[in-house]
Amino acid sequence: MDMDFELMAQAVPLLLTGAAVTVQITALSVLLGILIGLFVGVARISTYRAVNLLAAVYVDFLRGTPLLVQIFLVYFALPVVTGQRIDPFIAAIAACSINSSAYVAEIFRAGIQSIDAGQMEAGRSLGMTWMQTMRYIIIPQAARRVIPPLGNEFIALLKDSSLVSVIGFEELTRRGQLIIARTYASLEIWICVAIIYLVMTVSISRLVAWLERRCKIDDQR
Amino acid sequence: MISVKHLKKSFGAVEVLKDVNLEIEEREVVVIIGPSGSGKSTLLRCLNYLEQPTGGEIIVDGMALDNTDINKVRAEVGMVFQRFNLFPHMTAMENITLAPMKVRGVLKEEAEGDALRLLAKVGLADRAAAYPEQLSGGQQQRVAIARALAMKPKVMLFDEPTSALDPEMVNEVLEVMKELAREGMTMAVVTHEMGFAREVGDRVLFVDQGLILEQGTPEEIFSHPKEARTQEFLSKIL
Repeated sequence: MDMDFELMAQAVPLLLTGAAVTVQITALSVLLGILIGLFVGVARISTYRAVNLLAAVYVDFLRGTPLLVQIFLVYFALPVVTGQRIDPFIAAIAACSINSSAYVAEIFRAGIQSIDAGQMEAGRSLGMTWMQTMRYIIIPQAARRVIPPLGNEFIALLKDSSLVSVIGFEELTRRGQLIIARTYASLEIWICVAIIYLVMTVSISRLVAWLERRCKIDDQR
Repeated sequence: MISVKHLKKSFGAVEVLKDVNLEIEEREVVVIIGPSGSGKSTLLRCLNYLEQPTGGEIIVDGMALDNTDINKVRAEVGMVFQRFNLFPHMTAMENITLAPMKVRGVLKEEAEGDALRLLAKVGLADRAAAYPEQLSGGQQQRVAIARALAMKPKVMLFDEPTSALDPEMVNEVLEVMKELAREGMTMAVVTHEMGFAREVGDRVLFVDQGLILEQGTPEEIFSHPKEARTQEFLSKIL
């Protein structure tokens, strides 16, 4: 079994442009996922029964169905309803961020609920509204606790984003498939693809670990 | 200042407050005592709607709690908790200035000036930059009192403010409370500190099984309790 190292050297720059797209989708989806997830997470702890229920259904649906199916729903099923084709990039971002928001919502919910109830009481007793207390008291404290699980979610999403290759969106995995279709070099290319994913996920987990350490130091000021 | 009529509070099937009637006058210091589970903390927490009553009427400073913006009422009613509940991610200074800035719209410089004066008043002028975990329990509770005072409240509620403290720190907190009482602050204090009740209380309420069973001056309650249950309670703790 020989490995064609020359081919690998040629393929890597092409794969890296795919990797850049992967990073792009992941970063955008994480950002949107955090925004949506924050609202859904807060809705999950709302005392308004209807809001709470709606958020619970949202989370259950997204966590209870495969991301692949969700991608198909957005890319293939939604256009049947609207009568309009969806750009693969938009579909990819939409599916990934909405899927991620459900997991992020649960992370935020757990983070917020881990803060002592006395904090909310103290804020409210000073005349601050529920929203103000959330914003200035509860969420800043919860934010530090959600960094590690959010980092895990970021990594999971980066890997799951390979699924959007099925709608022809040219991220890292799809680039690999396309190169293999031309060169038949399955072994070389999939090894390269795997290594590039690994480098990205390890970098993220290092970054998260660093952030976590920084927050600990902040705590000990 | 505070008027409570036929206050009832149930948690599920458990009736914690049965029918409480209470008037607290301006500048009055009312001390609430009673066995644990008697409803005394719940009564105090109803006065700023941290517990929502099941029935009855509460009027604070002319505002009926059930049909007024509760945040407006709470801004006038300071509360000090058993477990301090300082905001751990903020310095003492930030703990004190947050609510005046966000609720009253006070400018930062002014809020910080007020905070420094309040910290000096509770004997912690040099700890403005300290985080709660860098302070002892007694110091934390004094910051918590300063935080409540920063809103310039008309009434202060104290919910067992010294119960979570090591014994040697109880006095530093009680001293601050006595000073407040001397300045004429209207106060409702749930406590087990009978010495404090005797010294600064204008009136002592004995709460048992969800009712104010007996009330009077400290002298009347401590030296000549009329009710058998008051006598029994006092004999256990004095």
